[in-house]
Amino acid sequence: MTSPSAPAVETGYPWPIETTRLANGLQVVASEDRTAPVVCVNLWYDVGSRHEPAGQTGFAHLFEHLMFEGSAHVAKTEHMRLVQGNGGSLNATTNPDRTNYFETMPAEHLELALWLEADRMGGLVPALTQETLDNQREVVKNERRQRYDNVPYGDAWLRLLALLYPVGHPYHHATIGSMEDLNAASLDTFKAFHQQYYAPNNAVLTVAGDASPADVFALAEKYFGLLEPVASIPPAPANHLTAPAATPARETVTAAVPAPRLYLAHRTHPFGTAGYDAITVLAAVLGNGRGSRLYQRLADGARIAQPDYIGSYGVDLAHAPAPLIITATAKDGVSVETLEEGLSEVVGSLVTEPVTPEELSRAKALLTTAWWRQVSTVGGRADTLSRYATQFGDPGSAAYRLPQWLAVTADDVTEAAAYALRPESRVTLTYLPESNEEAA
Amino acid sequence: MTLIATRPDAGDARPYTFPDLQRVTVDGGTVIGAHLPGQLLASAMLLLDAGAAHETSGREGTATVLAKSLEEGTAERDSAAYAIALESLGAELSPGVDWDTFRAGVSAPVPQLLDAVRLAAEAVRTPRLDPDDVNRVRDDEVTALRMDWAQPGPRADAALRADLFGAAERFGRPMHGDPASVSEVTVEDVVAFHRAWLRRPGVLLVAGDLDTLDLEALGAAAFAGTGGEPLAAEAPLGVPVRAERRIILVDRPGSVQSTLRIGHRAPERATPDYVQMTLAATVLGGAFTSRLNHLIREVKGYTYGIRGSYAMSRRFGRFEVAAGVQTAVTVPAIIDTIGEIARTQEFGVSEDELAVARSWRAGQLSVEMQTPGSIVGALSTLVVHGLPDDYYPTLRAEYLETPLADVSAAAAEHLQPHGLTLVVEGDAAIIRDELVAAKIGEVVDAQI
Repeated sequence: MTSPSAPAVETGYPWPIETTRLANGLQVVASEDRTAPVVCVNLWYDVGSRHEPAGQTGFAHLFEHLMFEGSAHVAKTEHMRLVQGNGGSLNATTNPDRTNYFETMPAEHLELALWLEADRMGGLVPALTQETLDNQREVVKNERRQRYDNVPYGDAWLRLLALLYPVGHPYHHATIGSMEDLNAASLDTFKAFHQQYYAPNNAVLTVAGDASPADVFALAEKYFGLLEPVASIPPAPANHLTAPAATPARETVTAAVPAPRLYLAHRTHPFGTAGYDAITVLAAVLGNGRGSRLYQRLADGARIAQPDYIGSYGVDLAHAPAPLIITATAKDGVSVETLEEGLSEVVGSLVTEPVTPEELSRAKALLTTAWWRQVSTVGGRADTLSRYATQFGDPGSAAYRLPQWLAVTADDVTEAAAYALRPESRVTLTYLPESNEEAA
Repeated sequence: MTLIATRPDAGDARPYTFPDLQRVTVDGGTVIGAHLPGQLLASAMLLLDAGAAHETSGREGTATVLAKSLEEGTAERDSAAYAIALESLGAELSPGVDWDTFRAGVSAPVPQLLDAVRLAAEAVRTPRLDPDDVNRVRDDEVTALRMDWAQPGPRADAALRADLFGAAERFGRPMHGDPASVSEVTVEDVVAFHRAWLRRPGVLLVAGDLDTLDLEALGAAAFAGTGGEPLAAEAPLGVPVRAERRIILVDRPGSVQSTLRIGHRAPERATPDYVQMTLAATVLGGAFTSRLNHLIREVKGYTYGIRGSYAMSRRFGRFEVAAGVQTAVTVPAIIDTIGEIARTQEFGVSEDELAVARSWRAGQLSVEMQTPGSIVGALSTLVVHGLPDDYYPTLRAEYLETPLADVSAAAAEHLQPHGLTLVVEGDAAIIRDELVAAKIGEVVDAQI
């Protein structure tokens, strides 16, 4: 091997960033890159499923669907037709923390994208009808069936959240919501939801790609500048959770699954903290790739876990200690007890066996590639800047994440493991195939 | 009013360009490089004429077992050392098989790409293929397929494929095999497949900053020790279509959705109708505002999403509609789907719909081709189908300019609403009687 090693990384964001704030409170971020004639418009609204009160689970996400169904000057179905019909790609997602909307367009359609976003930020309510709500409620119920209810292990995330976060905590319920709550959703609730949260002073607008900051700021002022801010935006329900949990939790599910599977989960640190950076590196050392401890020891070494279904990852939530999830699926003939023993032992090794320099540099190299992949498109870049502006008040702080990962030491990983991965704070979710029922 | 009522016009468009290509020939192999100045990541793919079509009957999945065995150690190092060497570059190997090719891809920061390609070539050209490892990988693959087949979809896919191409034919069997065929794969099969097909030079595709990357050195790494002549192309398989519709029921007790896979055969990728067919299928089932998604998701609320498209390889193609629909509306969803296919076949497309399809397809050639990985994928299409270096600018112009009459004519010729095979994977106890009563076509049970 003769190639030079990677130069020290001083920034994870080597593109310009300019920001402004309109009089109505809208934060605007522009990141120019003329490499390709494409531009991404990305909006983060600081509202997610964590804001949902009891009885209204799934509302933030169902609302996201309604945002594609027309607004004051955009007819039903026209939003999609205008974006795709001008060559663009678009989508939106909702998670516990926030809701994001984005479209990547050929650059000559930047103004169209901003017009569409402004129209649904300021003019959704007049276009919202019972018919649209009823239709999208059915679409979302089908989304739940397709993603969670009709798939083996599909409800694991729903169960893990409920085990990780106590009743009443904003992360306790899953973003997709319950069928019961979705059925009860009324039109007035959604109109109120929009008026409360879809305000310029509760959003960040980022434009990345083939556009100058001056043009971006002028167009933002033109299309969003006259929208009224909302005086008091209701905060998410109170959240006084300390990490990690003080007692273990365990759930065993017998279901139509093809093999026994385990999920171990822990509350760690909130995304964006030094503690969570250590958890991110820890997750890569433990369970990212064939060189990881889990793969080497359980898939390759002891050969008790299926090689395609073993790993660990953090879920990057910022408003409470975020989950680390570790999963493995038993090979044929291996009992779930054997698998759990093996998994616990490898997780415990992070405290008892210091991470070697080789393990640490492998994990950091994989994280480096993952970071550069994330920012290799204007869409990935815009979403990253919107995140850092929304969650940390400064899009420029996106540049620090990669250097901060690379600064994590072996001791930091050991310390993070000792703090967050103790058996007494562990959530253990076990899936057993139905045929095991009689044998058990 | 605080909103601006008038929709803005488009600004001036910059001319479309595809990255500049460079070619070098090294050790009997060809390197094709696409220049992406300033990109921090680079991607490479070793593309070999070694697709699943070469597999022996009854041993479907041999190439997939081989792909998964490549990282179990090489002539130089064992599996753990290999994983750590490669991953310490920030790279992971993505070996894969399709009908036409065997591919091994790596992505890494630009300074690490050469070492990553050396390691990729080491695994592809000189894998250890220790019998114990191959047997274990084979057993793991059987288990992994069982895991996969427990999800909705793979059994329906297999049932459709078997009906369209014949269960006894290679192209009528799943591309990656099924649990039964993979369990029959032997060490000798895997070693023989490697010896026959993975030691030919092939083509190395590279996308990244070519001011920094050395294509000669990359080619030398990829092609060292290889030999053999390129393979002759084989004839397309033709487009037989059923005389009558047929419904194949795949039972999935307790399923809350029915998984639909509806299709018929179509021409191979080289068809002169490729652009017209793509545009017609975009109107019918490609775009979000397509006829199928509009009616079945946005109007009826039967599904989270429904797509229809042509998929084409060197020797064959097929048209397919895929969706998951709520169990209770299985039959109405199928009737509506057939209705939209029939309407498109009979009456063609409208100017408004076609305008969306044109611009979307054309725009996607910029919007979805920003990364080294996506450019490498685009290069592989050029190589596999023998297309010229200026193909993408030409394709873009054709999307924008092909006359409506030609698109409607392609829909008329290449949609077969009366010859559809309709696979329904769902709770048979609930949906069977209604499916039979609907008289859409003969209802049979899947032999899967």
